[in-house]
Amino acid sequence: MDFEFTEDQSQLRDAVHRWVDKGYSFEKRRAIVKEGGFDRGVYNQLAELGLTALYIPGDHGGMDMGPVEGMVVMEELGRGIVMEPVSHALICGATLSAYAPDAVKSQWLPKIASGEALVVLAHIEKKARWKLNVCETQAAQSGGAWTISGAKGVVPAGDKADAFIVPAIANGKIALFVVERGAIGVAARGYVTQDGSRAAEVTFHSSPATLVTNDGLAALEYAVDIGIAATCAEGVGAIDKTMELTVEYLNTRKQFGVALSTFQALRHRVADMKMQQELARSMSYYASLKLNASADERRRAMARAKYQLGVAMRFVGQQSVQMHGGIGVTDEYAGSHYFKKLTQLEMTFGDTLHHLGEVSARMQDTAGVFA
Amino acid sequence: MDLAFTPEEQKFREDIHAWVKDNLPQDISHKVHNSLHLSREDHQRWAQILGKKSWLGYGWPKQFGGPGWTAVQKHLFEEELALAGAPRVIPFGPVMVAPVIMAFGSPEQQQRFLPGIASGEVWWSQGYSEPGSGSDLASLKTRAERKGDKYVVNGQKTWTTLAQYGEWIFCLVRTSTEGKPQTGISFLLIDMKSPGVTVRPITMLDGGHEVNEVFFDNVEVPAENLIGEENKGWTYAKHLLSHERTNIADVNRAKRELERVKRIAKSESVWDDVRFRDEIAKLEVDIVALEMLVLRVLSAEKSGKNSLDIAGLLKIKGSEIQQRYSELMMLAVGPYALPFIKEAMEAGWQGDYVGAAYAAPLAPTFFNMRKTTIYGGSNEVQRNIVAQTVLG
Repeated sequence: MDFEFTEDQSQLRDAVHRWVDKGYSFEKRRAIVKEGGFDRGVYNQLAELGLTALYIPGDHGGMDMGPVEGMVVMEELGRGIVMEPVSHALICGATLSAYAPDAVKSQWLPKIASGEALVVLAHIEKKARWKLNVCETQAAQSGGAWTISGAKGVVPAGDKADAFIVPAIANGKIALFVVERGAIGVAARGYVTQDGSRAAEVTFHSSPATLVTNDGLAALEYAVDIGIAATCAEGVGAIDKTMELTVEYLNTRKQFGVALSTFQALRHRVADMKMQQELARSMSYYASLKLNASADERRRAMARAKYQLGVAMRFVGQQSVQMHGGIGVTDEYAGSHYFKKLTQLEMTFGDTLHHLGEVSARMQDTAGVFA
Repeated sequence: MDLAFTPEEQKFREDIHAWVKDNLPQDISHKVHNSLHLSREDHQRWAQILGKKSWLGYGWPKQFGGPGWTAVQKHLFEEELALAGAPRVIPFGPVMVAPVIMAFGSPEQQQRFLPGIASGEVWWSQGYSEPGSGSDLASLKTRAERKGDKYVVNGQKTWTTLAQYGEWIFCLVRTSTEGKPQTGISFLLIDMKSPGVTVRPITMLDGGHEVNEVFFDNVEVPAENLIGEENKGWTYAKHLLSHERTNIADVNRAKRELERVKRIAKSESVWDDVRFRDEIAKLEVDIVALEMLVLRVLSAEKSGKNSLDIAGLLKIKGSEIQQRYSELMMLAVGPYALPFIKEAMEAGWQGDYVGAAYAAPLAPTFFNMRKTTIYGGSNEVQRNIVAQTVLG
């Protein structure tokens, strides 16, 4: 039982921290939002830092790192509300490493690691909401080759990605495929989301697909769980920065002749925010440390963690805006963008009510960190 | 980073687990598991079982006869005891006054008082709160006047937990009215059999007798019972508070009580009611998150690198959780939470229960638990402390 970071992990954190400070100023981010919410040049810089390679084995050009390194990176990206979807490089790198046949690994993993290929998970369907076992996209096989047909929604950077990992029904059950965006029958309609980042509705019409695994639901659950742990860490980073902004504002802004931080009503609210911040950090650690547990234990842990993070992100985000007053609801102020990011993260990989339902359905007689 | 305890720590836990299984009397754990009334004799019997093993002062260093355990070992010990249904160690002696005597008492005081605390023979009470001094403890007025080789104590303490059993009481008393209120307070050990000490019960909202008023009327206390220096008592008391760290969250007991919430919800069929079950699910997440917070504090202590100064958060969350599980148990039994039969909270009562036997103590326990957000520094005071660390 040890929650200290190693020297290497601290160095990794510092490196990402420095990059965010230098390479991703609020003005730079604003410019990217204006251009559509995704910058491939930025994504390539993140890849050069090695961040897209974290979960990929060394013999496929990766860094062979684990969940704690992923968590450290995502915290720092969250602190800078970075929009380029590094979390999906983690998801796709880990999922292909764990489930794909060797040929598929050799084809995609080195390119994901280097940033040459942006591969994202495209799993959301309109009827599925947050459910992973609901899938209308169909896969068909003829002469040994697969094609898929269907539609996936709110796919991060979906019209900029090079390929997608897509769940589709093959022989009556969910299988996982890789589909290239440039393949026949693939169309992507891109748009900007609430936090300024980019997403797309992606449709497939008899599009050529490469089978990753027939054990698709288990692989998809694994993929989403990596996404949940990454989202939790990203949320912690965004909460940390939101707290910094709020504390600074309360200590600076004066009304009735005194700093806002002298009012007990606000001080107690800050104490409640600090509570949520530390519970969130605790449960983000928990999520990352449970990523390699058995599927049942892992799923239960992710639901618990994402529920707690959802509560914390909502509370901290909303209270921060409230305590800033008018400036908190302007586009000009960075705080409002953190609030939108926190809100969007709550609605990524399952919202808070969804995960409460998951916790509820998965409860056992005993419960604790180790059960 | 690693969630798992070391093999040595696991082994330690297994040893404690086996020992508790063999040594915790079942009639006592039955009471704890069902929120039934624990008598003085129950508490003393268990304290002396622990005392024989030198485990009543389980947080004590070896030089004072304790086991010298690490923070993690103490946590595991507390967890195994709590899950098995052991009563909470009455903290006033071994957890509260003993560390002060060790740190600030004279060798004579250490030899005189520590053995009785370690063995569980002497029952200690805590004399802090006064009618006019609750959250603002430093305003306390109970006076101790030095007359020759004695102090003469006059005043009143209140909310004194289980003082009806107390043989000794450690008190904060006013020895000076000069300067800041904090600088005129001394730490005095008083024999409760002394002439002029009167204990009067306060009946609480659950009908129980858990706290008391303690009156001091010209009570003569030998000057040798003063801990450390006169007017330094506030510093010593703060030292005492710093010894209450992760323990304050009581997360291990919460894990046990969550199991009980689930058992009761199942036998009352509200387990299948989505709205009710979701409330249990929220409590489960709260408890796991609190446990992670506790483990983070332990890890920080173990590494010695970063201290994690979040005792206020642990107190707030821990007490809210205690209230919530007692509330959910009460709600789970529905209308049969309402009949109030005081005798039904005694083990072995042979009368006629109105509802299920397990339902009888649930509402009184819920009422009793309201104290948790008030005592030990109210949660509002805790929020002031937390805000101070964040905002300055």
